[in-house]
Amino acid sequence: MVASPVVNTYPLSSYSFGTKEPKMEKDTSVADRLARMKLNYMKEGMRTSVEAILLVQEHNHPHILLLQIGNTFCKLPGGRLKPGENEVEGLKRKLSSKLAANSPNMQPNWQIGECVAVWWRPNFETIMYPYCPPHISKPKECKKLYVVHLSEREYFAVPKNLKLLAVPLFELYDNVQRYGPVISTIPQQLSRFQFNMISG
Amino acid sequence: MPIINARSNNGNSDGDRLVVDIYPLSSYYFSSKPAAASKDETIADRALRLKSNYDAFGMRTCVEAVILVELFKHPHLLLLQSKNCIYTLPGGRLRPGESDIDGLKRKLLSKLSVDDDDNYRTHWEVSECIGTWWKSDFETLPYPYLPSSGRTPKECTKLYLVKLPSNRDFIVPKNFKLLAVPMCQLHENRKTYGSIIAGIPQLLSRFSINMVRT
Repeated sequence: MVASPVVNTYPLSSYSFGTKEPKMEKDTSVADRLARMKLNYMKEGMRTSVEAILLVQEHNHPHILLLQIGNTFCKLPGGRLKPGENEVEGLKRKLSSKLAANSPNMQPNWQIGECVAVWWRPNFETIMYPYCPPHISKPKECKKLYVVHLSEREYFAVPKNLKLLAVPLFELYDNVQRYGPVISTIPQQLSRFQFNMISG
Repeated sequence: MPIINARSNNGNSDGDRLVVDIYPLSSYYFSSKPAAASKDETIADRALRLKSNYDAFGMRTCVEAVILVELFKHPHLLLLQSKNCIYTLPGGRLRPGESDIDGLKRKLLSKLSVDDDDNYRTHWEVSECIGTWWKSDFETLPYPYLPSSGRTPKECTKLYLVKLPSNRDFIVPKNFKLLAVPMCQLHENRKTYGSIIAGIPQLLSRFSINMVRT
């Protein structure tokens, strides 16, 4: 039997944050986004996207780093893989693009851990499921969430148009309205991990 | 054999561990045995019993098995139904000092197999823990994280994935019905099944479920 995996989490205060040039969303509306997804599907087949769960601790409770766009919409750092791209390499690429300073000697050494969740999009619609629904042989997207192990100190450069938030698990749990079905179920998917909450 | 959730291995050694072979419901045989002596107690009596156990032994730990079969090309979860509306996973409370694995095997024998199987003829392959839920008090709802108050929770429930062989005889106590419920029916159906069971599809999503055609 496999033992519980361990995640070391450090206080939010052990990390430093700066800014960098804005990274605008490629689509301005949900409809645009789905239309672009359809175009890409025709060219390249099913989209595979990878997202990172970066954990810190505050008051001995795990918190996840989320990027907030505008006033309300939150997402995990990550994005679409290029055709044929390896998942781990692709996730590192996305993490550096969203959260690392541009200079080459300030790149964090991203430690990509276990996959904790996989979501499937059966049609060009917003709804996703944690399994490929029966009778769907051609899902349009597969999204995989990975735990990323942070070291004790990191410097993050956040695009000017985004805010980086540290949200406690208890705030995410069951909060579908605010965070959507994928992010709000992360607490359950992390519940098998042993959190080693290291103070500063 | 088509693997529905086909994915690249990524060079992780996780790859094999994450593949779960499941077999058709029809390859299993189901019969019944007499019901165990029931703990017919009032809610108040049960609360007292749980409290005195807590005072004597500390946090109550329950282990439960997540067992899958295939039907209509979709994974189905085995659930026990009692009294028409109470759904439970096969499992139960650990005895003081008992390991998770030993406790789970003991409960699986009692709920799904012959009682006098002292030599553990029925081999249960317990894979990994897929989720943990904690209750800060016996009457409160379970949550998938430790209470942030820092107080010790009163109860902890751990879900373990159990892999079945290609065939098996299931022998269920007469006071339970054994059901195979499709994942798509469990998903987000907290009203019928409770948070723990309704959340199982999300806990299983990272596995590659291979529906074996026999």
